[in-house]
Amino acid sequence: MRRLPRLFFLLATIVLTLLALTGGPSRAQSALQIPPDWNKALDSLADKIAAAAKPAKTFSLNVKNISSLSGTDVAGLREELVADLAARKFRITEKAPSDAQLQLTLSESADDYVWVAEIRRGDTREAVMVSAARDMVKNSTSAGPSITLQRKAIWEQAGKILDFGLVSEAATDRGSILVILEPDKLSFYEYRSGEWQLTRAVAIGRARPVERDVSGRINLPAGKAELPDVECSGNFQHPETVTCAGAAATQDAAFITNPIVMQERTVDSYAALAPVCGIGPLTLVSGPGDWTQPDEIQVYELKGHEAVVSGPPLKFPGPILALWASEDGKSARVVSRNLQMGAYEASIVSVSCGD
Amino acid sequence: MKLRLFLFLAAISLVLAGAAPLRPARRPRYGGTLRVEIGAIVKSLDPSVAAANPEEADAKDELDELLYDRRSEDGTFAGAAGSGAFRLSAWEAGKSAVFAANEDYRAGRPFVDSIEVQMGRSTHERLLDLELNKADFAQIPAELARQATDRGVRVSASQPNELLALVFLKGRTATENARAREAIARCIDRAAIVNFILQKEGEPAGGLLPQWSSGTAFLFPTETDARGAKEIWSQISPSPKLVLGYDSADTLEQSVAERIVVNAKEAGISLVSRAMPNAGPPSAHAGSEAVRGDTIHVDARLIRLRMPSPMPRVALAAFIDVLRPLGGIEASPLPENASSEDIYNDERSIVSGGRVVPLVWMPQVYGLSARVRDWKQPAAGESWPLADVWLDSMTETH
Repeated sequence: MRRLPRLFFLLATIVLTLLALTGGPSRAQSALQIPPDWNKALDSLADKIAAAAKPAKTFSLNVKNISSLSGTDVAGLREELVADLAARKFRITEKAPSDAQLQLTLSESADDYVWVAEIRRGDTREAVMVSAARDMVKNSTSAGPSITLQRKAIWEQAGKILDFGLVSEAATDRGSILVILEPDKLSFYEYRSGEWQLTRAVAIGRARPVERDVSGRINLPAGKAELPDVECSGNFQHPETVTCAGAAATQDAAFITNPIVMQERTVDSYAALAPVCGIGPLTLVSGPGDWTQPDEIQVYELKGHEAVVSGPPLKFPGPILALWASEDGKSARVVSRNLQMGAYEASIVSVSCGD
Repeated sequence: MKLRLFLFLAAISLVLAGAAPLRPARRPRYGGTLRVEIGAIVKSLDPSVAAANPEEADAKDELDELLYDRRSEDGTFAGAAGSGAFRLSAWEAGKSAVFAANEDYRAGRPFVDSIEVQMGRSTHERLLDLELNKADFAQIPAELARQATDRGVRVSASQPNELLALVFLKGRTATENARAREAIARCIDRAAIVNFILQKEGEPAGGLLPQWSSGTAFLFPTETDARGAKEIWSQISPSPKLVLGYDSADTLEQSVAERIVVNAKEAGISLVSRAMPNAGPPSAHAGSEAVRGDTIHVDARLIRLRMPSPMPRVALAAFIDVLRPLGGIEASPLPENASSEDIYNDERSIVSGGRVVPLVWMPQVYGLSARVRDWKQPAAGESWPLADVWLDSMTETH
């Protein structure tokens, strides 16, 4: 009985500490949602605004988004900028009068986001701006508590990618290894000093030119990378052991998927995944467009004899060229082409439940 | 686990196979002949032979792109003809050409077996042949895109990447007055040019780069200010009489020049338009060409500037190369790591100088037959990706 007050005090302390950590100012939350590079860019923009706006101290702020940023990103950026300006002793006011009007336009160029701040005072107008890299990790948001698709961009390059594989650090006696299969070579990159560095490229020689719609697949556990007329084999944890040689073309090769029919259309890019949080089994299916259009991945859940759309689609800025389930059935490797930039992109799409 | 997944897929295949017609799978097929029509008359495909006019130069560039695998650093084609995706199998200078798929092309054999090119086809003929399904691919003027769509032609338009601009020529007494230039720039109704002449297939231009490329085009105003123009012009004494030149072979330039003359008249500005024979567009895309059309006197002229790259810094540099000899525009080349702000400041400096007046951005527009698949609009500076298209056998041709 004497211990009860002490226990209560301890519990109260823990609860209060948790509340302090989780219920603190929302800036901490939004800052977490914004990539570090964006924070730096906003910080620089705040500096430029501060320099251009002198001697104004109070702003009315209007934010306009003409880029591909989501509403969540825009809200986060606005909040972060207001905090950055506050740290420089500027105040944002909703009510007139203010010393100046600050118009923040979130725009984008061919290769970056461009955030422009226009400071208007009377008839004068000055524009300052910063560039920010496009976020490489795009998350789709789900309205319901069902399925959420998440995309993590791994690699992009100008040349065609057929498939890719990631050998984790734990499986090697060095850093992580990224394997990129292209029509004419198999490249190995090691993660060193914060970036992927090419360590080996195995040329794929063949007697005949490659087909224009060539496909291929990497099977890491089997130590193989297969193309219609070439097979590369070895221990992928040790790239120096991998060699490529000609192989007889087969019709039932591992990289050829048999089309299925989904909702009255033929689908030849799909990946079957294991159930997640009791939902499933699941199938990821690419969109109906051709190789000239933006694409998407939609999750279907098998319910009885019916395949039911589950969660919102994950949008891609170009066609999905390859879609393979990972060995553990929990995620999929996706090779797509970014039509705006012309680059081939390798990314991992995973499924999670909850919102 | 694998067996369960396989069964699942098999199950949904069976469950979802309905009676409705299936959309075709999107894996490409090989075969067929792609019928292309162009307006230009190409006399020779030899890269060392100069083209007679910019239209021929552009078309020749596209055709040589089929034949050659690579270019030199200066942009000229290198290596042997036939090292590219196609080989020339028939040639009638100025009339037609047939290109056969190169089975040994290093990047893979093209999907189509051959490409037949008909030259010297007028815009009207190209549209008609697309409509009647006698052609698979033809470029059509942006201002006719809407008409083509209305006639049932499948149309593919790029992002706006060609700028129509007015340039005040250097060394002309009448245009040395910055106020006179400003008055003309203010009176132009860009929205009317886009809505009525381009039939909404384009957008008003205030800067030298489009919004999708620079991200800052919205900072350049495009509104008309007829009242301001009138006021400025009334303060100029004596008011000059100006001549606006346009390429006599370019019907779009003619329409736009005439429209600008009407705008100028409304603001009390004395401006007349005049056709310039063999003026030719000084194309940024084709490189810096000699400025022609100086044989008749004009104070300003219309020019088309096609972006050689989607990258704003590269496109701006190419435009400056063309504008420098015409309008005497001075601008230093930007370094490779130039920021968006550096590019914007350069662009603003040129536009505020008033020697060049951006008018409208136009897309590249192509008509396609229904059986053409996987056509992807070339990005600014890219050639037609004809080796990547394939023909759908399920669609009939006539």
